[in-house]
Amino acid sequence: MALLDVRDLSIRYEPKQRPAVDAVDQLSFSIDEGEFVGLIGESGSGKTTVGMAVLRLLQRPGRISGGSITFDGTDIAHLSQDELRKYRWREISTVFQSSMNALNPVTRVEAQFADVIQCHTQLRGGEVTERIRTLFDMVLIDPKFMTAFPHELSGGMRQRINLALALAIGPRFVVLDEPTTGLDVVVQHSILENVRRLQAELGFAVLFISHDLGTVLDLSDRTMVMYAGKLAEEQATRQLLRDPLHPYTKGLLGSYGDPRAETVRITYVPGRPPDLAHRPDGCAFAARCPERIDRCAEIEPARTEAGEGLVACHVAAIQRGADGSGIEVGPPIRTFAGPQFVKSAAASAEAARGLPLVTVDDVSKTYVRRQGLRAVRTEAVSGANFVLHRGGVTALVGQSGSGKSTLARMITGVDAPTAGRITFHGSDGDQVVARMRGRRLRSYRGSVQMVFQDPYSALNPTKTLGATLARPLINFQQLHGSKLRERVIELLETVALSPGERFVNRYPHELSGGQRQRVVIARALAVEPELIVADEPISSLDVSIRAEVLELFDKLVHERNVGILYITHDLLSARMLCDEVVVLNEGKVVEQGPALDVIRSPQDDCTRLLLDAIPNPFAAARS
Amino acid sequence: MRYFARKIGFFVLTLWAVVTLNFLIPRLQPGDPAELMVQNLAGKNAQLNRAQVEAMRDLLGAPSGSLFSQYWSYLGQLAHGDLGISYTYFPYTVAEVIGKAFWWTVILVGAVQLLSFAIGILLGAFAAWRRNSRFDTSVTVISTFVGTLQPFWIALLLIYGLGYGLGWFPTAGGYEASTPGFNGAFLYDALSHAFLPALTLMIVTPIGWILGMRNTMIMNLGEDYIRLARAKGLPDRMIALRYAARNALLPSVAGFALALGGILGGTILVESVFDYPGLGRLMGEAVGIKDYPLLQGLMLLTAVATLVANLIADLLYGVLDPRARRAAA
Repeated sequence: MALLDVRDLSIRYEPKQRPAVDAVDQLSFSIDEGEFVGLIGESGSGKTTVGMAVLRLLQRPGRISGGSITFDGTDIAHLSQDELRKYRWREISTVFQSSMNALNPVTRVEAQFADVIQCHTQLRGGEVTERIRTLFDMVLIDPKFMTAFPHELSGGMRQRINLALALAIGPRFVVLDEPTTGLDVVVQHSILENVRRLQAELGFAVLFISHDLGTVLDLSDRTMVMYAGKLAEEQATRQLLRDPLHPYTKGLLGSYGDPRAETVRITYVPGRPPDLAHRPDGCAFAARCPERIDRCAEIEPARTEAGEGLVACHVAAIQRGADGSGIEVGPPIRTFAGPQFVKSAAASAEAARGLPLVTVDDVSKTYVRRQGLRAVRTEAVSGANFVLHRGGVTALVGQSGSGKSTLARMITGVDAPTAGRITFHGSDGDQVVARMRGRRLRSYRGSVQMVFQDPYSALNPTKTLGATLARPLINFQQLHGSKLRERVIELLETVALSPGERFVNRYPHELSGGQRQRVVIARALAVEPELIVADEPISSLDVSIRAEVLELFDKLVHERNVGILYITHDLLSARMLCDEVVVLNEGKVVEQGPALDVIRSPQDDCTRLLLDAIPNPFAAARS
Repeated sequence: MRYFARKIGFFVLTLWAVVTLNFLIPRLQPGDPAELMVQNLAGKNAQLNRAQVEAMRDLLGAPSGSLFSQYWSYLGQLAHGDLGISYTYFPYTVAEVIGKAFWWTVILVGAVQLLSFAIGILLGAFAAWRRNSRFDTSVTVISTFVGTLQPFWIALLLIYGLGYGLGWFPTAGGYEASTPGFNGAFLYDALSHAFLPALTLMIVTPIGWILGMRNTMIMNLGEDYIRLARAKGLPDRMIALRYAARNALLPSVAGFALALGGILGGTILVESVFDYPGLGRLMGEAVGIKDYPLLQGLMLLTAVATLVANLIADLLYGVLDPRARRAAA
């Protein structure tokens, strides 16, 4: 019998002001003792809601509206909070998404272990401390941090401690809900290695919820793909990689390219998930599906066994002979037949021959911090040299704290270097960035624009898109009236939000993440910049729409001849967009060159570390 | 430790600034109080008599010498607790007059504040924990309604109802027939006189704490560490107290320390309505009769009290919130 058996689980959100939404609709799955199961889904697919329901932590207005959750033979879906207590932590524990907030900020870490240990076991006093010490050893953290407060620890350490906390009572089942989202790739990699090792040693079962395809496929025995509150597909991970059944799964897999290939192709899924308050008839994915047939828009596909997996798709069912209707659909294809983004090494070599746009010449930045009478010097950047080209994309790659952002601040003129110089070869002659003042600086600010990591907080939620885009036009180009409106619409069209008239009066919350990021880019384009500095512009976006933003950047480079400085910790995305790569480590440029060369034959240990950290589920499938 | 040393350093610096301002401001004002008083005594249009003015100056102990030497002797006097002589209560010194009123106010308002804080925090936390329950709704609605009422108006209602109507409590003064001192009769007398002002304040003051605590706690209940505490299967009491209330308390504690600083000046109206022999009434009087030395003394006292309260708030915050220690150090 399975350890956890979820049958026909439905979860309904009933907010007072808005119509009720079935966030999860008749979902069934099971997890065996010691099994590692992944649950992939994009934002809004209901994956976290499923996790919360299994933990019985759903909060109003959400509630379980149907089905059962059977844990070890008992249906826990309808137990009272008091009855649940004997399952909590002893049997089922969890690691939450935001490592920042999962620990009580005002008490020492030790106390947060002690309360749960004393609550569920007979251990007292010195034995408790001993247990905590063991747990810290398990996650490779020095036990001296037991007495620390959460804010004194780094994000990676906090998440390791959360992992240790989850294992405190030796549970049989752990829900990991996006445990490494927001952490550096290298840190993420080492934490997940730690999870994998502990899981093998201790044998607990895991439900690993994440939007990050790579990590899920890398770790899980079995993978479930969720779309619009339902399971689209479920298969053993190896099999899923080899032979994906659902077109949506193919789309997700297609958003992963092989960075070492001469030409990288990634696909993306156009459109956005349906509004669950008005669930469409038929298959929820039909509107975005390149393989759809007439039936998809009318009849909702049932979950059918196809080969070794389960899939909810008419086409896949027919192709695998699980449906006897005899409709002609052609043989199964492995890839997603949707729009594609292609980047070839040859085109990159072309771009690298472009005219220099910014020259960074032996630049250093030392921050001096006063501590009482002592001055503490921190070398954020030391002796950096590189060139950004017009009509090319250069990636600045490094772990957090490697000085990427400091360099970006100096290039945009927000900070001045302590030594060396940054020269901007703009359309009105060469200028040293740090020496610009007054009007010159103002016009420079116009030629250099930023695109931020989080499109959700980079847009003012109370302003329409029109107002957001009009602001820089009024400030820098003194446009007004109908001219202003025309230009705003033109900008929206440029970033493929068309027809522009329809988007002018919309608010950011009405858009998807990818669309929002495009608005941010449109705002950057408003002043016709010569250089765009993009700080992790796709890392907070869902995988299936990343490529669409990459494509937009690529188009800008080719059509407008702008230069892009792309800041990231992820070499994979750097390869997809960039022509050249500059790798930073502890403030120093350790390696630079054409993107493909750096990735194929890394010279520096730091580059290798970054490369190894990229989850590579395909390596296993190919071998 | 750095954090605490720093905060104390700031306190000493601001204290000095306050004392100095208290010295300078009256001296920057135009006009001569002695001339003004003589003029008042003699009548509006009378010719000023130089000798009278000089005599008045001597009587008031008006300072002479350079500004700096005045400042020096002012600091010396302050160090000995000498705040000058009150005009209205002549020949009592300001220190004596304030000293008499001081304890009346501190005991009444101090007790009321402590009690209101405790009640407010408990009610607020409980309302938040049982959010949208009948208890929560009634607490919120009643608090919001009472919060719109003026304390002196409530005071008048109470005087009318419990004082004149039912005659249960005296309506004015601090004590009646008994001799002040530590004896049963006086304590009973003083308590029964303090009851109505205390009740008035008790109706009004907890409201801020209730609403404040309820709102912060509701916000805190949405945090991940609360959800994690639930997932840990900890008893509800522990989650409510150690996780939710403990975090929600932080802003209130800072507010409370500041409110303690406001004790000395904040109850003028209520004390006046009840003719209660405390600092509030004294301040009302001093303003009315232009008793400058007394007013200056009271101002200094209020300022110092606020500073001390601020210091306590900072130190307490440092103890309660480990994050503050590092951020400010």
